[in-house]
Amino acid sequence: MKKRGLMAVLLASLLLQTGCGSARRGEPIAGPMPPLTPAVAKGQILFERHCSQCHPGGEAGVGPAITNKPLPGFLIKFQVRRGIGAMPSFSDEHITDQQLDDLITYIKALRRHG
Amino acid sequence: MRLLKLLMAAVLTFSISGCYKIRGSSGGGQTEFKPPRKINSSDIALPSGYRIEPVATKLTFPTGVAFDEKGTPYVVEAGYSYGELWTTPRLLKIEPDGKTTVIAEGGKNGPWTGVVYHNGEFFIAEGGELEGGKILKVSQDGKITPLIENLPSMGDHHTNGPAIGPDGMVYFSQGVATNSGVVGEDNFRFGWLKRNPEFHDIPCQDITLSGRNFETKNFIDPDSKDKVSTGAFSPFGRKTSSGQTIKGKVPCSGAVMRITTEGGGPELVAWGFRNPFGMAFTPNGQLFVTDNMYDERGSRPVFGTGDILWAVTSGTWYGWPDYHGKFPLNEHDHYAPAKGKKPELLLARHPNYPPRPVAIFPVHSSSNGLDFSRNPAFGHAGEAFVAQLGDEAPTTGKVLAPVGFKVVRVNVRTGIINEFAVNKGKQNGPASWLGTGGLERPIAARFSPDGNALYVVDFGVLLQSKKGAEPKTETGVLWKITRK
Repeated sequence: MKKRGLMAVLLASLLLQTGCGSARRGEPIAGPMPPLTPAVAKGQILFERHCSQCHPGGEAGVGPAITNKPLPGFLIKFQVRRGIGAMPSFSDEHITDQQLDDLITYIKALRRHG
Repeated sequence: MRLLKLLMAAVLTFSISGCYKIRGSSGGGQTEFKPPRKINSSDIALPSGYRIEPVATKLTFPTGVAFDEKGTPYVVEAGYSYGELWTTPRLLKIEPDGKTTVIAEGGKNGPWTGVVYHNGEFFIAEGGELEGGKILKVSQDGKITPLIENLPSMGDHHTNGPAIGPDGMVYFSQGVATNSGVVGEDNFRFGWLKRNPEFHDIPCQDITLSGRNFETKNFIDPDSKDKVSTGAFSPFGRKTSSGQTIKGKVPCSGAVMRITTEGGGPELVAWGFRNPFGMAFTPNGQLFVTDNMYDERGSRPVFGTGDILWAVTSGTWYGWPDYHGKFPLNEHDHYAPAKGKKPELLLARHPNYPPRPVAIFPVHSSSNGLDFSRNPAFGHAGEAFVAQLGDEAPTTGKVLAPVGFKVVRVNVRTGIINEFAVNKGKQNGPASWLGTGGLERPIAARFSPDGNALYVVDFGVLLQSKKGAEPKTETGVLWKITRK
């Protein structure tokens, strides 16, 4: 059972490293985003302020692409708060828990788009 | 089972972070190029309802476009590129068939970084890598009159702009000499430290230093085995002390200044910028600038600072060399390079807290020339259209994929940035990297006088390697975007 679990983890890791298809979600490539819910709209502004510098539009830049990988919300939160690797950590002074929820909602909407 | 969950979290997190430290850089300039440059509009993606076409090709390092009363476009060619390649700076008239007519030529003091047309005359920013920056007035028959000379532009960044303000004055900007305030190895590699060993950044007002010094090899004297210590706002090898005052003066580094259309002494508008390359006024007279932010290089490398779009308020300090937007560079671990400590602050006191940026562009995107849409027929009236030259990795820092190489539009109220003109493909990148005929390095974007067309100045192929920049002549293009 443990071996199976480990295999699943390694497979997921490989999948996340390579990505699943193009990460491009910009309007010229993927068309305009559908109308945004209030939470998604708030998340979009936060994404521009905190994330897009290193993950431009969700694509790879200084950091890896995040729109072509099936990352669960809890893992994104973990990464944002802990800042593992080259990514800096963002405490609740920078991004409140509510804002982080909005941010995740937007990232998921962006991932679905295109 | 709990251990397995922890392991899963650790492995997945490692996957997200992509193990940045062990991956090589993959910038847009890190490719090969075999001339001639391919040109193919259909390799460029635009929002539905727009089209793009080349207007002029085979330009050498074009940096700006302006229009006369009839709407005829004129382009400036820089005459210099990173990589220390010198050509002749030129003002070219673009004929209807795409051919060019030379209006004026400059000397060996490029790069000419931008042009504006006002009341029958051209105003050009001469970067001034060898003799210092200038603002030139050029008549339609090519007579060149310097309005101001000896601007402090013989370092990393140059004299930029210009733009004509609602007051009828000529606004221009001056980039800083260094990456983050300290002269070091990176400046030696760029070439200018050997030419001008005394050159350094100049503050616009008196500043008090914290007294940080940075020890390096003595690059100026290759035979010397001694190390030297260099402080902020000082020549290479000159140590500073805590509480030391550096006298400010104008003209200065990292500033927006203005002069009359007849010249005279410069007046300071605002300072604390790094490289305010793009300048544009909105129809209601608000000045905006794009500011190229810190690189991960030199004695004081800074990680992860996206370029900034600022709304300029007179008399304000905008944060260089100690802030990125509203955040000081010693804020937590945000700006620490992968192989170093977080930057320490260079100033003991700051003139003011920097304002909030209007928008923050991707790190190393080199977000440059901009203009505002004014015509609802074109669309997005009131938004800023910004040309992104693209990364210069690995020289300026590592990237995992090409950044920039496109035109974006910015909602200046919300700070939201949307792509407008990009190359097609599974990944973003310059045409030479993708092997297509699309955009290479957009450096300026300007609307025609009637607002119906957006012209995009494409600098051309600029490769990058560990040796530095390798620019390619006759690869620049002027593109035109219109509604279908």
